[in-house]
Amino acid sequence: MLKMAKAKLERGSNKPAYITAYGSGLNRRAFLRQTGAAAVLLGLIGAKPNILQAQESESRVGGFTEFTPLAVTLVKAVQLQLFPDDGDGPSSEQLNSFQYLIWALEDPENQADGDKEFILQGVGWLEELAKSTHGTSFIKLSIKDQDTVLKQIAKSRAGENWLSLLLYYLLESLTLDPIYGGNPDGIGWQWLEHQPGFPRPVKGKTYLDFS
Amino acid sequence: MKQSRKFDICIIGSGAGAGPIAYELAKAGYKVGVLEKGKWFKETDFFKDEQLGRHSVFRSQLKDERHTLEEPNGDGSWSSDTTSQFWGGNIVGGASNFMSAYFHRLKPQDFRLVSEYGNIEGANTVDWPISYDELEPYYTKVEQLVGVSGKVVEHPHLEPRSTKEFPFPPTAEHPVAQRFDTACKGLNLHPLPMARGILSHPFNGRLSCEYSGYCGSYGCHSGAKASSRAALLDTAIKTGNCYIVTQAKVYRLNTDDSGKVNSVDYFDLTDNDKSVRVTANIFVVACYAIESSRLLLSSQGEKHPDGIGNSHGQVGKNLHCCAGGTGHGVFELDKLKELEARQLKTRGPFFNRALQDWYEIDDKSVSDKPIKGGTLDFVFDPPSPTSEVSGLKWQGENLLWGTPLKQRIKSHFTQSKDFKFEVFCDWLTNDECYVSLDPDEKDRWGQSVAKVRAGFHPHDEKVAQYLVDRGVEVMKAMGAHEVWGNVFTQPTSNLVAGGCRFGDDPTTSVLDRNCRVHDCDNLYVTDGSFMPNGGSVTPTFTIYANAFRVADSIVKRLAKG
Repeated sequence: MLKMAKAKLERGSNKPAYITAYGSGLNRRAFLRQTGAAAVLLGLIGAKPNILQAQESESRVGGFTEFTPLAVTLVKAVQLQLFPDDGDGPSSEQLNSFQYLIWALEDPENQADGDKEFILQGVGWLEELAKSTHGTSFIKLSIKDQDTVLKQIAKSRAGENWLSLLLYYLLESLTLDPIYGGNPDGIGWQWLEHQPGFPRPVKGKTYLDFS
Repeated sequence: MKQSRKFDICIIGSGAGAGPIAYELAKAGYKVGVLEKGKWFKETDFFKDEQLGRHSVFRSQLKDERHTLEEPNGDGSWSSDTTSQFWGGNIVGGASNFMSAYFHRLKPQDFRLVSEYGNIEGANTVDWPISYDELEPYYTKVEQLVGVSGKVVEHPHLEPRSTKEFPFPPTAEHPVAQRFDTACKGLNLHPLPMARGILSHPFNGRLSCEYSGYCGSYGCHSGAKASSRAALLDTAIKTGNCYIVTQAKVYRLNTDDSGKVNSVDYFDLTDNDKSVRVTANIFVVACYAIESSRLLLSSQGEKHPDGIGNSHGQVGKNLHCCAGGTGHGVFELDKLKELEARQLKTRGPFFNRALQDWYEIDDKSVSDKPIKGGTLDFVFDPPSPTSEVSGLKWQGENLLWGTPLKQRIKSHFTQSKDFKFEVFCDWLTNDECYVSLDPDEKDRWGQSVAKVRAGFHPHDEKVAQYLVDRGVEVMKAMGAHEVWGNVFTQPTSNLVAGGCRFGDDPTTSVLDRNCRVHDCDNLYVTDGSFMPNGGSVTPTFTIYANAFRVADSIVKRLAKG
């Protein structure tokens, strides 16, 4: 199955020329079809009741519409669960994953996709779920309990999409050029023994400077 | 309507089909105007930055323009979706900026498939109006002028050559090539060094390859890659006779009472999409097969009620999308000797190997008589670590995170090395593979987009499977620890050709043997549209060669006055 999927991916992405880079665009689109507004709604319909409740109560309290200090702390905590400091390779903290996320969410395409709103909405669900299942804020939970909450979140389509989107940006901060804010001094590349190409992008010549 | 300049020759597009025309006509002293939808980027703009591809910086954006793609579902019904996968390069030099530049020639039998192998029911295969011998001098010209590196090796399917050797020696080879050669010799195969449109020595103001390992899909920083821009247009400009109009989105060819083209209209993307008109004596369309057909179909006039070249309903028909598949051989590095593992991890030089032992398949288990086969190219995927890593977060249906995800990523990058082969065989032309104008879907300028119906012939799958199986055998013989291969029936986005095939009969072709539109005396189509079949290789080399051939015929015509 994996190979089949891989083959499908390759169709758009390989065979000579230049298509691989485009292929990543395809993946992104395919992914966004699942995380776009319509899919989120569909996901909520199929979501576990507690997620629905969480979402509703989030709406009642107004939820997060900006990265407030609490939202920042919560996202950082989730990122550290997703990519922990486990003694082998950089953690999300060392990768500057949060700063990268904040920067990437301002990209015009990512803005158009509504990623920032979706991520903030998810932070509300997470916090409500932590409170309803463990009686306290996510950030006050032990690492083990935080993981339990994330596993619970991943059981719903919307929750899984939310985690997947956070991972999407987090992994960008692992392997993209340091000029974009993640992967400082190439620590991600060094860990993966990845040799970047040359010349590497410079200030004034990032992808945003060409359009 | 703003009136722009007048040229002797106006070319729409600036890729592989356009460069040779601009180069030859400008050199011959004619005023050439090239209309290109994209911007003009140079070597100094081509950083090895994964973000450029991830954000389609040098390609058209889906929100602005797209194609409708219809594909068979396998149960008689068809899917329909919009896509931007067919946009190869919205930039001066077009998609040739981003090619891997595997430069195989076609072979004599590709020009006469029906005569060699007979008709296949359900396929629209025809012999070409020209022979391999007529194109051979132009393959040689491309090798010398555009710059092709390689080494000629005798093998059963080597095409005739007028020169003994390539003008440039092969590019540097990855250590895996040796392992490949040994395996192939053990299987009684003929491992071929792959000819590349990449300079191994500096030439004509272009530097040689820098071996950064970031080639296909990335723009070339040294100018070694034989893009139409680096290899031809830059020189054409220096003559003082060639003028490139960038950000000019051509949307219509206008014809006069006699049916000839007298002008083209484009939207000036630098000036609020204002419409601008360009006049010329001769017009050349070369904006990728799908878009060239679209432009002809969109250009209706009194003498051309169904579009130019379409008096017999042939425009857009007989499109082909390169059949084949891919396969992989994964080597687990901890199972190899330290030196072997280190060698396989080298990044920079190319794999550069091909097999053409099955260009014709003579195997009773497949067919009673010999059939046309294809080529296997052994290559590296262009590095795109972020795309790779992104796929690793899914294990089956489950999302991975934490230490299990980190370990999976680390193992993928450091503990194994993936080598790949690509299979190229003919996508048989058939009645269900064509371009038409979508009656509903419009681009941002309100023009009907091209609808691509991509039906394939089951024969293609049979040939592709045979070749994929051979590739898998080779990977196993090389000692790969995990090997698999897959056949594809979806179009290969960057290798689409046909749609305006050439021929001597105007009722079954759009172009004459010199790629002039049968029913429009001063209009030529010089991209891959002319090809009745794609050969079992990537078509860029042949597009270049044919465009040089057409350029010669236009120069002769103009010299006559």
